[in-house]
Amino acid sequence: MKHILRSFFSFFLVLSFAVMQAQETTPKGAVPKPIAPQKTTLEKQTKKEPLQLVPTDVKTEKKNSVAAKTDRYGIRVGLDLYKVTRALYDKDYKGLELVGDYRLTKRYFLAAELGNENKTTADDRVNFTTKGSYIKAGFDYNAYENWLDMENIISIGLRYGFSTFNQQLNNYRIYNANPYFQETPIINSGQKFNGLSASWIEVVAGIKAKVFNNVFMGFSLRLNRLVTNKEPENFSNLYIPGFNRTYDGSFGVGFNYTVTYFVPIYKKKIKPAVVPKK
Amino acid sequence: MKKIILFVFALALSFSSCEKDDICDPKTPTTPRLIIEFFDFENPSIKKNVTNLKVLGEGKTDGILFNGSQTTNGTSIAIPLKTVGNSTSFSFTLNSGNPNLALVDEDIIRFNYTTQELFVSRACGYKSIFTLDPTTPYTHTDASAANQKWIKFISVEKNNIENENETHIKIFF
Repeated sequence: MKHILRSFFSFFLVLSFAVMQAQETTPKGAVPKPIAPQKTTLEKQTKKEPLQLVPTDVKTEKKNSVAAKTDRYGIRVGLDLYKVTRALYDKDYKGLELVGDYRLTKRYFLAAELGNENKTTADDRVNFTTKGSYIKAGFDYNAYENWLDMENIISIGLRYGFSTFNQQLNNYRIYNANPYFQETPIINSGQKFNGLSASWIEVVAGIKAKVFNNVFMGFSLRLNRLVTNKEPENFSNLYIPGFNRTYDGSFGVGFNYTVTYFVPIYKKKIKPAVVPKK
Repeated sequence: MKKIILFVFALALSFSSCEKDDICDPKTPTTPRLIIEFFDFENPSIKKNVTNLKVLGEGKTDGILFNGSQTTNGTSIAIPLKTVGNSTSFSFTLNSGNPNLALVDEDIIRFNYTTQELFVSRACGYKSIFTLDPTTPYTHTDASAANQKWIKFISVEKNNIENENETHIKIFF
């Protein structure tokens, strides 16, 4: 519950960034506001010099269409802040996740995450340490229509994740529904299960907002479903790096909170859609 | 775009509800108890009711509860074994609490076994299953030498105590 609450707050924090970005118009002050202001100048002009009406009209129309936007294409690289900061306050956790994407088309991005985790889970009945690395690769689809040259992203995507890891059972307890003898000893084990692996499919809902220049803040929520899972003998993969905690079924959830830097490679001009004249 | 935000929100909300799965469901088969059934020694195929049987584990002062009572008059009982160590000793007292002390009879049975621990789930942790010793699964003694043992014969039906769905021990008296 605590984690989900935290993710809610982070999510709204990022949302608020996006709102700020959407309302910020100062850097784009130079760009003429599309239609409304020019009409007024046009009207003024027509009032002053009614004879020159026809040529100016054509010119302004042309200028208007020149303000076409250019889309920047490139690679975005960064890391998950949540994993890095968590290591500061949670002594049972160490993790790092690098994220990256490459813009393929106007709306599609190739996306990948690469990470490593070392987590000790202390549950009521089992205490174990999971160590391993994972990679997730897939794509994002940007469903957000940007104004002018804004570059915000609200995306839905898919990933295929793969993780190799090992588990060490530190200690455990035996469940006895009839504790007549009142024994609940904690049994130390230290047994290690090596060579484990799992793979899964992730549905990603994400948001990235440009905070300044080429720096983006992002947040994503993930719904995971296990595809393969190589389980240890007489234990279970209760935590899988990248997939996170496993539940009784094969579903899981995750999120990340990223800061990324965009490296532009080339630009593409967008031809504005031809608006039919009335 | 608003729909997506709404969708994400609904998704996150739906997961916040399924957080508490770390309580072990009592229906989950965990460490099994030893199931003992009582039969008539004269007529071995007929189940026989015990009268005010009290079962006391070694080192305990209160008997094992059967439906909330320390004595039972049924034909079968389920008793928990110790998960630490390789044997548990019980005293079986027939006609427990009877004012006529001549009727009160106590026998002692020690069960010898090995344990194995099996993983159940995150919530339940591990469970123990037991394998009764193949050569001496039990030792049967009388508490006071003066009277006879009330248990005439003990039969081991199942050496492996893995669940509570089957009878492991039959006692004839």
